[in-house]
Amino acid sequence: MNSIQKLSRWLNREGVAGVVFSLPFIIGFLLFLAVPMGLSLTYSFCNYDILSPARFTGLSNYIKIFTNDQTFISSVKATFYFALVSVPLRLVFALIVALILVRPTKAVGFYRAAYYLPSIIGGSVAISVLWRRMFAVDGVVNSLLTLAGIPANLNWLSNTRTAIWTLIVLAVWQFGSSMLIFLAALKQIPVSLYEAAEIDGATAGKTFFNVTLPLLTPTIFFNLVMQTINGFLAFTQSLIITDGRPLNTTLFYAVYMYRQAFQYGNAGYAAALAWVMLAFIGILTFILFQTKKYWVYRQD
Amino acid sequence: MKSNRLERLLAFCAIVILTIAVLTACGSPSSDQTADESFDSEKSSSDSTVLTFAWWGNQVRNDLTQKANEKYHELNSGVTVQGSFYQWSDYWSKMATQSAGKQMPDIIQMDLSYIDQYVSNGQLLDLTPYIESGALDTSKIDENVLLMGKVGEGNYGIPAGVNVMCLFYDKAITDSVGVTIEDNMTFDAFVEIAKKITAETGYRAKLIYDANYMRDWARAEGISIQKAQMPVDSADAYIPFFQILETGVAEGWHTTPDVMTGNAIEMEPLVYGSTPETMSWCTLNGGSNQLTALQKAAKEGQEITVSTIPTKDPIKSNYLKPSMFFSISADTKNPDAAVAFLNYLINSKEANDILLGERGVPINTDIAEYIYDKITPGEQKVVKFVTEVVAPNCSPIDPPDPKGSSELNAALRDIVEKVGFGEYTAEQAAQEYFTRGTEIFSETGQ
Repeated sequence: MNSIQKLSRWLNREGVAGVVFSLPFIIGFLLFLAVPMGLSLTYSFCNYDILSPARFTGLSNYIKIFTNDQTFISSVKATFYFALVSVPLRLVFALIVALILVRPTKAVGFYRAAYYLPSIIGGSVAISVLWRRMFAVDGVVNSLLTLAGIPANLNWLSNTRTAIWTLIVLAVWQFGSSMLIFLAALKQIPVSLYEAAEIDGATAGKTFFNVTLPLLTPTIFFNLVMQTINGFLAFTQSLIITDGRPLNTTLFYAVYMYRQAFQYGNAGYAAALAWVMLAFIGILTFILFQTKKYWVYRQD
Repeated sequence: MKSNRLERLLAFCAIVILTIAVLTACGSPSSDQTADESFDSEKSSSDSTVLTFAWWGNQVRNDLTQKANEKYHELNSGVTVQGSFYQWSDYWSKMATQSAGKQMPDIIQMDLSYIDQYVSNGQLLDLTPYIESGALDTSKIDENVLLMGKVGEGNYGIPAGVNVMCLFYDKAITDSVGVTIEDNMTFDAFVEIAKKITAETGYRAKLIYDANYMRDWARAEGISIQKAQMPVDSADAYIPFFQILETGVAEGWHTTPDVMTGNAIEMEPLVYGSTPETMSWCTLNGGSNQLTALQKAAKEGQEITVSTIPTKDPIKSNYLKPSMFFSISADTKNPDAAVAFLNYLINSKEANDILLGERGVPINTDIAEYIYDKITPGEQKVVKFVTEVVAPNCSPIDPPDPKGSSELNAALRDIVEKVGFGEYTAEQAAQEYFTRGTEIFSETGQ
């Protein structure tokens, strides 16, 4: 037996082959997740400005976050408001469009693609810049309102009441990926249930609330969890469209973190902010999972 | 059983070795820059040097600088300059990570607000020996201008151009009201004019926005920030500053924050907006080198021009400032070549024929004269304004911004917004500014 054969036999053993095949993931996980996370956790206990070596300062970053940081509170408020308003709106929107598009008509493929498009491009810088121009004083939105007979001269982006809504509208507009998941789920609902409902004489409304909606709840739950997490991590819109203005009403948490790390040179503090965010998201997801048994339908 | 465990151990070792291999592979020659370094250390004996040069800027600057780099290669065939350019905020993230890895480009564009931080971390090369030896020719540079790059005992940056803070205004509006903006006018005279313009046209003045005007005002009061601590003992000193905004908004001649959506030139209310309510007749936004950009962004019928910042003491408020610096990295393998290239950028006609003062008025007085006839009338106006109006009537620049300044300015931006929206009185604003400043500097000064 030559050495190549020996090597190949060794590699083909179950224990070894398993490890070899999972290497790409393990390396990726170690390099791009475990190591950066470990570093980030370490830095969160340090005073670190990227340029000079980190100095250990214990819990001081965390203490400052919770006791003496007005901007932290503003950014948490803005982020929660944004996530808790835009996610349900987006899901309702996605569900309505999915219900329309589930019917088999000829153009349905085109419409599905067309409605999905915003989710692909929605987070991009280009769309953010476009949004900024649309809601500017002499932008499309004001022009259209004026054309429609409502004279509008509002600066949407620097008005404390409207600014966050421009971001919410943008987020709701990106309902495509939730819509696709709803579409797939709608097709999974057995036709026999609808037939039974029809025989029993149920109206369209009753069929929707008693058949469609309960069977969709697992999908709604999945979308809710995923989209809520994404909502908390929103960044581009806040940075480019409003830059957190006015009065920090649109300052998203991720943008504040970015500013602390790269603009104010407090990377350690930013790392602590990141861990606090992780805790927030973890708690919220946990709560969502706890509510699961009250409203999510389980097929046993 | 036992051999199975051994196999797993072996496999695990393989992973660890692989990981280390990958890690070190990322660490060394994967980025272009280090490839260059290894390249030039091999070839330096045969006179082929590669210099790297990074800057932030706009498309015009990128094109011109690339051309100047190529020209340098034509003149010195042994040296190639590789440029890389970024947007302002990306630039500083990039520099921060590169400097942490000791891989900074040889020549770096540097800013007044960052130079102190980079010097205190030992990341920039002291240029004093090269100035003394004459490798960097400073004979045509004003002593005060040269001092701008002085941090501690060394000189770490050569100004790429000179700039002044100024008031931009629309002369078409002032003409229509029949008032003239005089250079070096006092603050009270400015308020009188502003009131008159608002009463007759509806246009308001934009003076205090973001962190703008704080330094100019503080210099006149003699309380500008010199080092990492608040220069006064009590918040009361700042009340008059916020009162300008408070009364300006109350009396109607100052803009409110709702007309503004940022400091980008294209969104500047001086040139952007549709009605007098959504625009301003004057603004403070960046230095005098922004004039041409504003003129380009202006609407038809507007006549954007420049004057001094309204202040109670122009000499104290005004200062010449470096629009930016050129610095050399302490990590450079070719300090002599980098200095020679820097000398070319600052002192040569060839380079400035191409760059044409895009980074501000050239600091070499001969070069400034040399390019004067080659630039547009708008740019000539800036050169004249800097050299003839402000230069004879100003005082030296403050020391480089201490660490924490950018965070304090961000806090100021929020406070100014609150005063503009009427959420804070001047007293509350002053108190908050003072408290935040004290906190920030006590943290960075630790």
